[in-house]
Amino acid sequence: MGLEFLARVRSSSLWVATVAALVMATYAAPLAGLALAAGAAWSLINLALLQGLIVALTGADRRTMPATWRAIAAIGGLLALFAAGWLMLTRLSPALLAIGFGIPFVVMVLKATALLLLPSAAWRRLTKSPWIAAAAVVVLIAGLWVVAGRAAGERHGAAHTESLAGAVRGGAGAHEAARSGEAEESGPQKFPNVITVLHRLAPHAPLVGFLHHYEVLVFSLGIALLLCLVAWFASRNPQMIPGPLQNGAEMAVEALSDFFTGILGPRHGPRFVPFLGTLFIYILAMNLFGLIPLMDSPTSSLNVTVALALIVFVYAQYVGFRELGLLGWLDHMAGSPRTAIGWFLVPLMLPIHIMGELAKPISLSCRLFGNVFGEDMLLVAFASMVVVGVPFTRFSIGIPLHFPFFALALLSSVLQAGVFSILTSIYLLLMLPHDDHGHEGEAHAQHAH
Amino acid sequence: MDFHAALGWGLPVGIGLAAIGSGIGLGGIGNGAMQAIGRQPEATAKIQLAMIIIAALAEALTIYAFVTMILLRGQIG
Repeated sequence: MGLEFLARVRSSSLWVATVAALVMATYAAPLAGLALAAGAAWSLINLALLQGLIVALTGADRRTMPATWRAIAAIGGLLALFAAGWLMLTRLSPALLAIGFGIPFVVMVLKATALLLLPSAAWRRLTKSPWIAAAAVVVLIAGLWVVAGRAAGERHGAAHTESLAGAVRGGAGAHEAARSGEAEESGPQKFPNVITVLHRLAPHAPLVGFLHHYEVLVFSLGIALLLCLVAWFASRNPQMIPGPLQNGAEMAVEALSDFFTGILGPRHGPRFVPFLGTLFIYILAMNLFGLIPLMDSPTSSLNVTVALALIVFVYAQYVGFRELGLLGWLDHMAGSPRTAIGWFLVPLMLPIHIMGELAKPISLSCRLFGNVFGEDMLLVAFASMVVVGVPFTRFSIGIPLHFPFFALALLSSVLQAGVFSILTSIYLLLMLPHDDHGHEGEAHAQHAH
Repeated sequence: MDFHAALGWGLPVGIGLAAIGSGIGLGGIGNGAMQAIGRQPEATAKIQLAMIIIAALAEALTIYAFVTMILLRGQIG
């Protein structure tokens, strides 16, 4: 309890506020996200200045000159902050600003509650057996469900008449939207999966509509959950003489670790193995999921692959900043000029490097999407090639011409997952300070696209 | 020839040309890698790694053509 606790609160609320502001800016409006971020930033700076003031006034070195100056600076900062707060209140939405302002306090209260709760006897009794803990979680979720349902019911009753009027007015528009939705449906024909089958059986059920809308997300999150379960079961009870599941998991982890450490070198390798290995296993599982009947591979949607590529892009830039610092990163972007010719070439090298960095996520995402989607299309095309209607009956027979291509699909699924993670590791390698031995070959490979 | 008819002719031909190009490229890459492995079998792992990366880069061009085709397919009249 003390300054270290406050620092933890600060970093947690910084993360929470950043994520919340990004979500708001993406799904509501950019200005709403800005308001949330501004509120949180205001609150965090306020807390930091207050902490500085209190430390300066009550610390061991009070009544010395530097402490006085620090106190004066903190008070001046607080005054400037209040002026900025007034300015923000006139420009941005006060409610969102207040929510952003409240984030650090909520985090502080939650952290304090956790600190009080975790060493208590009741908590220890609750977590002694996983069954009791699971039952407690289930009870908590059920209670939240009931409360949220009741609150939503009340709000729904109030909003009902209003939405009815809106529906009458927007009737024509809704029809238009429905028709364009249908047109979108009949785009590329794919194998049916669980969700499309459900959607065809019950097109108007709200849950099915939700699932159908977020089909890709449902599948990718389901696969992530499945992988988590497998990992949990494999590492739950480690034995000296491993069972089949533990053995397989250990082999996979060891092979991936050796492989990526071989690319990145023994100094940097072990740090990035978890990220790269997870990427490989996750993409491989997503690619292969499309080969299971009634399932769909999420990577055959551009949204998923772009998300993965953006994660890689942001992570590579973060690693670059972390390892090289701002100046080192700029130096790297300018092509590390050391000679007069190098400095002369900076105006040429900087745009090339920046474009190269921006081209990486595009090429990563398009490659994975194109391969998996093209493979799906190939299978569908061959499956639907020979569908013969039997005369005098309503049945038709299909000859499964696409079976040989399953082998090709298996091969390219593994290959594409490998290519994605290998290229990611090479982007990371190019970002890391490479002083030990030259990577000229990879550097040329990077410039090739 | 109007725009839709031009697309109807151009897209299949274009993707075929792209496939020919990256086929030639992949052939060259495979040729070089196989020769290198034949000369130095002990460096197989390194050569294969580099081969896969460059093969992915060469193959990506066809994939771009394919994605373009998917995007423009709805425009064919």
